[in-house]
Amino acid sequence: MKRQKVLFLKQNYILRILKNFMFAGLFAIALLLILVHKIDLGIISGLSKSILYITAPLIHVSTLPAVGISSLYKKTSEFLNVYEENERLKKENEQLYLLKNQIRALKSENKNLKDLLHHFDTPNTKSYTAYIIAENGNAFSNSLIIYIGKNQDKIKQGYAVVNSKGLIGRIELVSGNYAKVSLITDINSKIPVVSAKSRDRGILLGQNKKELSLIFTPLLAELHDGDMLVTSGVGGGLPPDIPVAKINKVTLDKITASPLFNPSKIEIVKIIAYDVNPDKKTLKELE
Amino acid sequence: MKTGLKKFFTSFAIFVVPIISILFLEILVYTPRINDFLNFLRFAPFYIGIYYWLSLRPDIFNIFSAFTLGIFADVLSSNTLGINILSFLILYIISNRIFSYFNIKKFTYSWLLFTLALLITLVFKSILVSLFYRKLIPFNYLFIEYILTSSLYPIIVRFYLHIEKRFIHLEERYEN
Repeated sequence: MKRQKVLFLKQNYILRILKNFMFAGLFAIALLLILVHKIDLGIISGLSKSILYITAPLIHVSTLPAVGISSLYKKTSEFLNVYEENERLKKENEQLYLLKNQIRALKSENKNLKDLLHHFDTPNTKSYTAYIIAENGNAFSNSLIIYIGKNQDKIKQGYAVVNSKGLIGRIELVSGNYAKVSLITDINSKIPVVSAKSRDRGILLGQNKKELSLIFTPLLAELHDGDMLVTSGVGGGLPPDIPVAKINKVTLDKITASPLFNPSKIEIVKIIAYDVNPDKKTLKELE
Repeated sequence: MKTGLKKFFTSFAIFVVPIISILFLEILVYTPRINDFLNFLRFAPFYIGIYYWLSLRPDIFNIFSAFTLGIFADVLSSNTLGINILSFLILYIISNRIFSYFNIKKFTYSWLLFTLALLITLVFKSILVSLFYRKLIPFNYLFIEYILTSSLYPIIVRFYLHIEKRFIHLEERYEN
């Protein structure tokens, strides 16, 4: 028996007229969307915001059971290793006490030197905590969706997202109580970095895999395996000196680095509000 | 008038069922993973959904549904808007050609042709993304995604079949 067409489609006469040109038309629209996205017009951002506004709460609710299971698994494994963890923390605590005293001395020395040099501090920054509700990492993109709660007015596109180890990405879109974060491993990511040791600059590119690629380094750069790369602050998009990655391998034609975070182990992130030239409202908030 | 409206809303509900069912599975894929191994295993239920609903109900799943899903996929991932739309349109066209040339009655044939359609679509998408960003995308991740999506086809089809059965009941109720 042949199936009857449903009423919804029958009523759309325009669909019938456009039937012959549908594929070509939609293909052209898709190509146009790619171009418009590249130009970065407000329409695309508005559309993306609306879709994220609808889908993010759904994602949040549907991932709750899985997040619960994941948290239970993590807590159980933590409980099983509690004795070893306690021993490790005791040792770490002793080391940290020593470091704390050293830092205190260095801090006061640094302050005195800054005063002598009339050094300007980096602009005020403020941070907000958020937690991850969804994660997307595949061959084509690497992103996160985070719950920012009532801070949507204070969080802007481009703000740095960090965890306890360093930079993990940047805010791509804010919509309602949620925001989308583009990870530094994403193919679209380009972070201006500087070597913490030699202060040689470069651009760290995401490749949609665990490894990052460092380009535009000076010809005589002194970069070695294991060197830490931190944000340079060039361009004013990100605050300087946030750890980003560690150099893996330096060859004549390629420098690769590893990010400092593990996507499967991030739960809570911190968003750093940073503006080099903030408007009055942002300045007031940051102050 | 009242019945007309009721019929319209029922048929509209029928129209959005495939889209919602595909989106539901896609949302589940976004669940944060427990460990690195699980994090590595990624699959794309969007492709199975488009192929399946087109093979089963071309009357309610049309090219606009694929286009709408493409917009959602682009926004949820951090891809440039339009890349997923194009790849879904390609999959739609390939699947449409497959169903017009072959009269598929056996599930295994349908599965086999899906793996072929998926391969072409993923290759097209990788070329598109690589050209757009002027960087080659990692083929090992792509390969895992392809293998996993192809292998999960029977399980996901079962889920859609369940939805379809419930949905047919709805349609019969409306026809009566």
